[in-house]
Formats: sequence, C-alpha cells, structure tokens
Amino acid sequence: MLKALAYIFGFLLLGELITYFFELPIAGNILGMFLIFLALRLKIVNLEDVKPASDKLIKYLVLFFIPYGVGLMVYFKIIADYWLPISIAVIASTIITLYVSAIIIEKFGK
Amino acid sequence: MQDFFQLPVFGVFISIVAFAGARELRKKYNYILLNPVLVAIVSIISFLLIFNIAFEDYNRGGKFISFFLGPSVVALGVFFYEKYEEVKQNLKVFLLSVAAGGVTGILMVIIFLLLFKVPDFIIESLAAKSVTTPIAIEITKLTGGIPEITAGIVIAVGIFGNAFGPFILKKLGIKSKVAIGTALGTAAHGIGTARAFEESKLAGVYSGLAMCVNGIITALITPYLLQLFFGLFS
Repeated sequence: MLKALAYIFGFLLLGELITYFFELPIAGNILGMFLIFLALRLKIVNLEDVKPASDKLIKYLVLFFIPYGVGLMVYFKIIADYWLPISIAVIASTIITLYVSAIIIEKFGK
Repeated sequence: MQDFFQLPVFGVFISIVAFAGARELRKKYNYILLNPVLVAIVSIISFLLIFNIAFEDYNRGGKFISFFLGPSVVALGVFFYEKYEEVKQNLKVFLLSVAAGGVTGILMVIIFLLLFKVPDFIIESLAAKSVTTPIAIEITKLTGGIPEITAGIVIAVGIFGNAFGPFILKKLGIKSKVAIGTALGTAAHGIGTARAFEESKLAGVYSGLAMCVNGIITALITPYLLQLFFGLFS
C-alpha cells in the first residue's frame, strides 16, 4: 500500500512539476493521470504496484468532492439569479452530448 | 462555540459522517434523488446554516478531504489502463464518439449561455460541466471561473444523466448498451457511469473510459474554446 501511494503521489508530483516548469495550460493531476497510464503501458510501472492505492482512491472519489459541493452555499444567490438560463443551457447541452456520443457508436460500433 | 467549529477536525468529521449516512440511506431506499453525494452536501449545508457556521470555517477541515482529489485523478489513469483492453477492438469509433460528444457539449453550453447573456464567470464555471468533478474543478481554476459553482453543476449534471440518460436515449432510438454506456460517461461522468453499470457490465466499462477520455479532451480544449468565443463576442 505504501509503495502504491508513493507511486500515485510521485506521478502527481511529476505532473505538477512539468506544468510548473513549462507553464502548461493543463492541471498537474491531469498530466499525472496521462503519465501513469503511459508508464503502465510501457511497462515502466507494474499494475500490482499501484493498484492497492488507486482502487481505494477511486472507491472514495465522491467523498473527496463533497467540500466543493458544500462551497456552493456561498454562491446560492448567483445561481438563483440565473437559474433559468443555467438550467436550459445545461440540460439542453447534456442531452445533445448524450445523443451525439450514442448515435456514433450505434451507427459505427461493433 | 464558533471557535470549536473552526477546528479542522469538525469539517473532516461532518464530511465523513454525512457521506457514510447518505450511503446507508441509499442502501435502504433506492430512489434517484437519494444520491449519496447530493444528500451529503445538502445535509452539511443545512447543518452549517442552522448553526450559523461559515463555509470558510467548515472548509478548514474540508480541504483535507478535497486534497485527495489530486491523487484520485492520477488513480483514474490506472483505471483507464486496466479497462483499456476491453475497448480495444472498438477504439477508433469509441474515441470519435467521446470526442464528438464532448466537444459538442462544451460548444453548446457556451453558445446557449452567451445567447442568454449570463456573466462571463458563469460561462467559465460551466464550460467543463460534463467531466468528472476533480477534473472540472481544475479546468475552472485555469479558466477563471468559480470551482464551487462548477462542482455543484457537475454533480447536478451527473444526477440528471443518471436519472434520465438511458430513458432519453432509448426514446431517441438508441438500442446498443455500449452506445448508452459511452454516452453516459461522456455527458454525465462518474454518476452517469454508476447508471451505466446498471445497464450492463460492458456499458459500465465503456462509460468509465469515456469519462476519463472526455476529461482529458475537455481539459485540453476548454481554455482555448473559451478564449475563442470571448474573442468573437466582445
């Protein structure tokens, strides 16, 4: 477990380091996600060495974003002022996304 | 008493208890609006309002919890590697589907909000609304929006996709479970993926992968799309 955590945090740090030095317009953790995938594909890292930590983190992923959700309370008034345009834009674009993704697989997928 | 609520352990404790309680509730009653994240957030907000505790005080502990979003995004890379084999034979169509759906979604939400003339910071906060919360939060930090608004809307989108996604898609004539899974992961991230697993195991895997791929695509292009549109309309 400790080794797995060290790998996860190591790749996170690597991602942060690269975005910091090259001033990339992408978050360090997203770069870290890409790099660990690459390292696994190229067999630089073994799946068993990272799986214990990654499984646990994904299992509790939703817990980790609860504080941000609670933070919404500070912005209640703004959301309330624009609830109608926000709702229409969000629902309509979500339905369009669902349909565009699904129809491509439906028509061309195996 | 207010001093007491400023202790970080308060924010950590109430977050864990609210989440654990919400999960128990879901086990007992399988009703869509009893989504554990939604219930946990609403109960914590209610508690803070009733006892007149500022969000900043709660977040002294809360940020210890949200810190783990960083390593969790890295963990998604491991998940992606594990499931990658299962979509290999469909890979090109799968990537095309996620990219097309993801980009259309970002374009549509920006265009709608511009037409409704909402303030720029709301558009910046909502552009990444389809991707998993930790990634959406990072994108919003880069685009200059408000991460808390992003988190709230992203969770709402997930619940919408979870509750109505398969129904809407079937009404629109979609039959393939893999298509439904990919669409749910692209449009409604992890909460949508939970529903995809109820459709079938394979639909769930496609959904989880679509969530990761759309996260990367959205992270890469959202800042540029926003710049482009704000450039055109200002």
